[in-house]
Amino acid sequence: MAAILDVLFIGRFFPKVMAQYDESSQKLTIKLVYYGPALSGKTTNLMRLHDILTPDMKGELMIMETADDRTLFFDLLPLGFRAPSGLLIKFKVYTVPGQVIHDSTRKAVLSRSDGVVFVADSQRTQSVNNGESFENLAANAARVGLDFQQLPLVVQFNKRDLPAILSEQEIMARWEKAPWPVLFSSALTGEGIIETFKALLAAVYLTCDRLYRLQSDHGLDCDSFIAQTLGGSLSSAKG
Amino acid sequence: MYDFQSGGDFERDLNLDELLKGIDKSRLISALNVLLDTTVGVVDDTGASVIGDNSSKTVDRVPLHGELEPVGFLQTRTAVPSERLSAAADLMQLILRCNARYLLASDIHLQTQRDDFEELQRRNVALQASEARYKKLSESLEIRVKEQVKTIEKAHLKLYRNEKQASVGRLAAGVAHEINNPLGFIRSNVATAASYLESFYEFNALIDNGASSKDLRKVWEERELSLLLDDFKDLMKESLEGLDRIAKIVIALKGFSRIDQTETERADIDTIVRQICQVAESQWQQKAKLVLELSSETPIQCQSAQLGQVVYGLLGNAVDAIETNGIIRIRTAVRNGAVVLEVQDNGRGIPETVLPHVFEPFFTTKEVGQGTGLGLTVCHDIVKEHGGSIDIVSQIGKGTRVTVNLPVHNAIQNPKES
Repeated sequence: MAAILDVLFIGRFFPKVMAQYDESSQKLTIKLVYYGPALSGKTTNLMRLHDILTPDMKGELMIMETADDRTLFFDLLPLGFRAPSGLLIKFKVYTVPGQVIHDSTRKAVLSRSDGVVFVADSQRTQSVNNGESFENLAANAARVGLDFQQLPLVVQFNKRDLPAILSEQEIMARWEKAPWPVLFSSALTGEGIIETFKALLAAVYLTCDRLYRLQSDHGLDCDSFIAQTLGGSLSSAKG
Repeated sequence: MYDFQSGGDFERDLNLDELLKGIDKSRLISALNVLLDTTVGVVDDTGASVIGDNSSKTVDRVPLHGELEPVGFLQTRTAVPSERLSAAADLMQLILRCNARYLLASDIHLQTQRDDFEELQRRNVALQASEARYKKLSESLEIRVKEQVKTIEKAHLKLYRNEKQASVGRLAAGVAHEINNPLGFIRSNVATAASYLESFYEFNALIDNGASSKDLRKVWEERELSLLLDDFKDLMKESLEGLDRIAKIVIALKGFSRIDQTETERADIDTIVRQICQVAESQWQQKAKLVLELSSETPIQCQSAQLGQVVYGLLGNAVDAIETNGIIRIRTAVRNGAVVLEVQDNGRGIPETVLPHVFEPFFTTKEVGQGTGLGLTVCHDIVKEHGGSIDIVSQIGKGTRVTVNLPVHNAIQNPKES
């Protein structure tokens, strides 16, 4: 009965609650999603994160792909560390399948997410796909009950290493009115991957702190939240 | 327990029991036993036994990681070199990971399938609701259309009846003319005859006064009383003929006006044709000659007034088709068990494009107000009621022939005779 009421109340009267807090096992699970058009480099982002990050706990990257390396359901990278209070901060970083036909899966993966990286393809030819995918993100967010205006979101223009790409000026001109941070990356080389992830973590920290008082109850400020997620060596090197 | 039927939330953390789902546990544990050369057991993160023998005290223990946290432990009853133990744990984690992939895939598959299905059901409900709305709309539309059709049918019926009445009215006008004519000469005859009587009264007075036969003879001759007497006889004879004509017209009119009759009677078409021609003569007098070739002489069970209306209608059409110097032939005969009535004119004819429509209600080529477009419809209906048929052959500039076939033993039977 209580569970049913929870579902009803959460679903109906409150915005989808950020992160899953399990008091009994002292665990806060944060769901992050890499969204974007097909072949924009979402899985490569996750692979680089898996390579580079060194948090206390790092699971293996689970990739569910088809024979031609297209994401079938999603990819999953689990990460985690313990806050000074002993709370386990667990991240589940997902990618969605970019292909248009997998919209139901995209919707399911996006559901209950706490932060989104929108991975756009910088190539000039991909502008339309980027636009359509971003609209799809907004539409699916609405369908799964996410407040798109409140959702921590970072926009990443990937594939900066390729020729025939939009210049940073062109991209910034298009996105200057948008409220989201825009970053540039080359997932193949790893450039900009951590910066993107850090920008997302900063935005996610704000909402998590507001809901679960990470600072006051768990002694976790934003900098250490980011530093611990990235891992010791990395955080000291890059601040 | 993992629920394969409904699936789970693909995001939840899988426990060891779920991760081992579908894996042959006894084969797994015996393989581990052989590899580690001891008795191996696996417990979950709460310490509950999952596979192998965990009953007695264990010596070595190594965690089995799930996604991130340990989901259980591999433990051995005797000491095992740590690298072998962790190699065994790694092997088992590889197996668990493969299974996790499958479970996650099936979970999200089921979830999306369920979501899609629910979405389809929602759409289906919405579609059904909208279908119901349209159905309701179409039903009310149907009712409204039916009401409109009823109104129109009512109006048509009224016009249709009016057409029947109107033909009587038109006939009445013709009849007035027919009756006026004999009335005129009868009146004149009687007036003349009355004036003759004066001469005979005077002659009678002479007789009363005792005039001689010689004088009487003289007066008789002077006054030409013999001629007057002959003329008087002629006047009376003519008047009687006129009166007979009026009487015939009245009889014909009486028959013709009973258009609402429902009972049938035995009548022959020849008589009906003659009666109609009698009362309608004024219609063609000016421009056509009427030729009657009547030889049916077979009484049929019919509504004679209705058939009279058919004849009158066809005759009227024939007259209308003629400009001047026309010939209208009305033939009757018995052919193949049917009384055949033909009305033929040498008028302007009916165009090919018009011909298929002539029996349609309200179809008319006449100016607005000149015809209702119901004349032939009424004829057609009456003939059908008599179990007969009506056909029209026409040629532009040559004329038109309408043929009515009425079965001698038709559907309309007088109940008294049957």
